[in-house]
Amino acid sequence: MAVPINFDQDAPDERTRPAETGSAYERFVIGGSTLLAVLLLWEAFGRSGLIDPLFISSPTRVAQAGFGLLQDSDFWNDLRVSGLEFLFGYGLAVAIAIPLGLAIGLSRRLQYMLSPFVDTLNAVPRVTLLPLIVIWAGIGIWSKVVVVFLGAVIPILINTQSGVKASEARFIRVARSFSASRLKIFSSIVLPGTVPFVFTGLKYGAGRALLGVVVGELYASTAGIGHMIAAAGNTFQTDLVFFGVLIFMVTGLIVVALLDRLERRFERWRPDVH
Amino acid sequence: MSTKENFYLRHERATLGTIMVLMTLIFWEGLERGWWADALHPVLGESAERLQLERIFISSPTLVASAAFRMFFVTGEIWRDIAWSALGYGLGLALAIVIGIPLGLAAGWYRRFSYAIDPFLSALNATPQVAFLPLIVVWVGTGLGARVLIIVLLAVLPIAINARAAVRTTDPRLIKVASSFGAGDFRLFRTIILPSAVPFLLAALRLAIGRGMIGVVVGEIYGSAAGIGAMISQAGSRFQTDKVFVGVLTIVAAGLILIEIVQRIERRVEAWRPPVQV
Repeated sequence: MAVPINFDQDAPDERTRPAETGSAYERFVIGGSTLLAVLLLWEAFGRSGLIDPLFISSPTRVAQAGFGLLQDSDFWNDLRVSGLEFLFGYGLAVAIAIPLGLAIGLSRRLQYMLSPFVDTLNAVPRVTLLPLIVIWAGIGIWSKVVVVFLGAVIPILINTQSGVKASEARFIRVARSFSASRLKIFSSIVLPGTVPFVFTGLKYGAGRALLGVVVGELYASTAGIGHMIAAAGNTFQTDLVFFGVLIFMVTGLIVVALLDRLERRFERWRPDVH
Repeated sequence: MSTKENFYLRHERATLGTIMVLMTLIFWEGLERGWWADALHPVLGESAERLQLERIFISSPTLVASAAFRMFFVTGEIWRDIAWSALGYGLGLALAIVIGIPLGLAAGWYRRFSYAIDPFLSALNATPQVAFLPLIVVWVGTGLGARVLIIVLLAVLPIAINARAAVRTTDPRLIKVASSFGAGDFRLFRTIILPSAVPFLLAALRLAIGRGMIGVVVGEIYGSAAGIGAMISQAGSRFQTDKVFVGVLTIVAAGLILIEIVQRIERRVEAWRPPVQV
């Protein structure tokens, strides 16, 4: 009598499942200690004089510089300017890209008409347009808002559009056979289906938006964290540069974490796949 | 009548797209030449003049085309910039591949190694990496080195992250069968993990091509004497809008060509794979 072999039911064990299992504790300990080791090494190099601290600074110097900045009103102004650029540009991108993406996804003709422009813009690194944007909008806050907007709008638009395209044809057929209206189909099948796609686009767009803030301010600006980094770099204040980079890093992490939370809230109704 | 309709329906996509693009180009040309200002003058009076924009402000499709012709075939000045940018881009992308693939494969295979470098990868991934540019300039100056480094920094992350994901999604049954027949780590790597990672790596390469382009432009507009990015930036500050557009279009063309090449490689490399049965 033959014994049926079902490979699918084999539970993956340590040996065969590379680098996926393992406790959160181990992850935390190894990750944390590596991070600590790198920081210590950095500090040691900074203090030893082997490498000029002008070049690499050190964690304590960066912390000191950061602490000093917190008392500086110019720094708060830079933070406000960069924050406004990000919020205006990204907000505008979200407000335009999601409705437009839904419309393009729903209407074949609209897609045919707009896709040449969307595809072209998608192929340009939008920061290339900065010299033009500066000619059009000056070196103040608005040129950065435009470049942030252009950076973020395309990924959100494209993802929203493909979210609509990916809606389950079976569900739509069922809804149609039960004579659901187009509005009903849109609001109860298409729209919820786009949520994961939209959030992928939002996260990607947030990265592009931050990139826009940095590049726009490096290129031409009068204030902002990117401006602060560039000015500090030009005067070899490496610790200030590191602090500025740290601000962008933390902002990026916070934005992604916020979007993750928001996504979970929107996805709570969805039944567990497992 | 019916053949006409059929023609439209068969080519609806191309027709609508072409019409929209043509309309945009004509509208743009008209803004510079003052067609709309002239046409609306009887209706709007003096305020119609605002519809004629300065040449330095907006340029026009014909001006861009003639500037492109001049720069490519008459003076040939753009070739030097293209060569200079291509050098930095090629070096940066090659380094990113050489660093990113082994790093990602190792992080995918060795769990503890992955725990050790994950914090750095995700922190770097959340940062707009161009913020490191002033730092890089402090370290290596504004020459070729800075441009190569910023391209590496931008392009290495998608490559490493995709390579890691590729190893993790390898079919565990294949690994199990191979190791029960006594295949060693190296053998597993060469015959199972690497072949199944190829699509991920090529997808990563496509991402890296785009990120690298950002690196070229940003690296060059932030202090460089030659290259397409430098050319765009200099033309911009001299209000030579037509040259800026030529530079932007050159970069778009380069990006599209590179992505097409990768897609061709993808098709060739994947030719052995049996079609997926759903």
